[in-house]
Amino acid sequence: MTAIQKRVIINGIVMVLSTLSAVIGLGFLFWILFILVSNGIEAMNWDIFLFEGAPPGYAESGLKQALVGQLIIVGAATVIGVPLGILAGTYLSEYGQRSKLAETIRDVSDIMMSAPSIVVGSFVYAVMVIPMGHFSALAGIVALTIIMLPIILRTTDDMLHLVPTTLREAAFALGAPKYKVVLQIVYRGAKAGILTGVMLGVARVAGETAPLLFTSFNDNYMSTDLFAPMASLTVTMYNYATSPYADWQRLGWAAAFILSMFILGLNIIGRLILLNKKGK
Amino acid sequence: MSTICSVTEEKALEINKFDFTYASADEPSLKQVTMPIAKNSITALIGPSGCGKSTLLRSINRMHDLYPGNKYEGEIMYNGRNILDEKEDLISLRVNIGMIFQKPTAFPMSIYDNVAYGLRLQGMRNKTELGDRVEKALKDAAIWKEVRDRLKHDANGLSGGQQQRLCIARAIAVEPEILLFDEPTSALDPISTQGIEELVTELKDKVSIVIVTHNMQQAARVSDYTGFMYLGELIELGKTEELFVTPKERLTEEYITGKFG
Ligand SMILES: Nc1ncnc2c1ncn2[C@@H]1O[C@H](COP(=O)(O)OP(=O)(O)O)[C@@H](O)[C@H]1O
Ligand SMILES: [Mg+2]
Repeated sequence: MTAIQKRVIINGIVMVLSTLSAVIGLGFLFWILFILVSNGIEAMNWDIFLFEGAPPGYAESGLKQALVGQLIIVGAATVIGVPLGILAGTYLSEYGQRSKLAETIRDVSDIMMSAPSIVVGSFVYAVMVIPMGHFSALAGIVALTIIMLPIILRTTDDMLHLVPTTLREAAFALGAPKYKVVLQIVYRGAKAGILTGVMLGVARVAGETAPLLFTSFNDNYMSTDLFAPMASLTVTMYNYATSPYADWQRLGWAAAFILSMFILGLNIIGRLILLNKKGK
Repeated sequence: MSTICSVTEEKALEINKFDFTYASADEPSLKQVTMPIAKNSITALIGPSGCGKSTLLRSINRMHDLYPGNKYEGEIMYNGRNILDEKEDLISLRVNIGMIFQKPTAFPMSIYDNVAYGLRLQGMRNKTELGDRVEKALKDAAIWKEVRDRLKHDANGLSGGQQQRLCIARAIAVEPEILLFDEPTSALDPISTQGIEELVTELKDKVSIVIVTHNMQQAARVSDYTGFMYLGELIELGKTEELFVTPKERLTEEYITGKFG
């Protein structure tokens, strides 16, 4: 066998193996999506949005408490986490730059990004839930904010870095003060990237269950009290899916379906924004 | 060591015994540069890559202050004061001394907003006044005809040469006294380059110009004075036609005859 023949054969084997792996991976993904969508669509109806979860056997049963709770917890975490993350990322890229403090913040947030979210949940449990004496939506909001913060901070930092130095210098050369350079030139140049980071950060926390089990816990009825436990789609889904009742399992599928579509939507929009930006 | 011609015209700038050291360097990148710059003329800076042309240019609008630890010594006299003084107001200095960069630096906003940027920084809000000044700047930068119908379009949709002229329009809109050009055509095609060169020559009625170029023909074509720099020193400053025909320094002669570069 000549060297060339050998190379052709090895090439072929590697190609077949890697293609096979990709197909297997994708196969599982589509299988999951198929099961989710077929069960989810079957479980969907208007009652889901109109009624709270009722005991098994009752007709008017839905996910209203979980949907409202999800919106409040994820919404509040976004409202707190996004500006904080963008400002911190701005500090890193525009002010701290390569300083010791900035590099330390970068390292810490990289570690926080890979920390299991259940650890964040137990941290908030220790510092908020135990002192307050009970679970609360507020604790859930804090936990999700902590998880979201490093994602937004690091994407903002990275995206601002991509804005060319000469663009900043050109603004300074016209007599612009630093805050105007940041607000009017750098942010504008990095707009699409930062927005994508925000979308991905929100999508990431929207699917969290573990930290909420320790913090906002659950409530079978509608509640908007931030100082009381609150339902969320993920925890509700966990409870219903593991229950023995068909009615509740159906609600669990509906919760899974709504959540997945929400997160999928955010991811797709985030990626479209980036793609659109690159295409220009 | 060096031959500096005398400048008979009024001077826009006088650089005296100027040293500059980058924060990360042990040695100064500019050594004892003394250079008069004539008003309403074009002064070109030539020399091999890394000899300090950009460093000198960026000292004139104190661009180096954007990065900590850089050190100036000596003086750069402008309107009777040393602009290296700690008390110098860098914002108004940069309004009076504009800069054009090697690569076009169109801001991510509309053509109109790009040109209006410097004016708005100065607090100009009146729509008609802004519109007039933007139009005038675009006309002076010889790009008005090409963009008049799409002022609201994104500036990044323009070609490289158009963007560079837009940047010139943006710089002249605030009516600076001095314009600094750092190799403004090195990223452009020959036709755009010619356009920029013509524009630079026309601008000198209104502003004093310092232009860095690695292209000796360009220096010969556009400038009134030429300075030759080598290893951080100004070796020779002369009237352009004299410097290229009868250089006084051996190094200048070797450089312009292509013995090194
Ligand atoms: N930011 C910097 N920090 C340290 N040294 C620099 C920096 N920028 C340029 N230099 C050095 O200063 C010298 C002059 O550079 P420069 O002014 O860019 O040259 P030119 O524009 O003539 O090509 C070079 O030796 C270069 O390596
Ligand atoms: Mg240079």
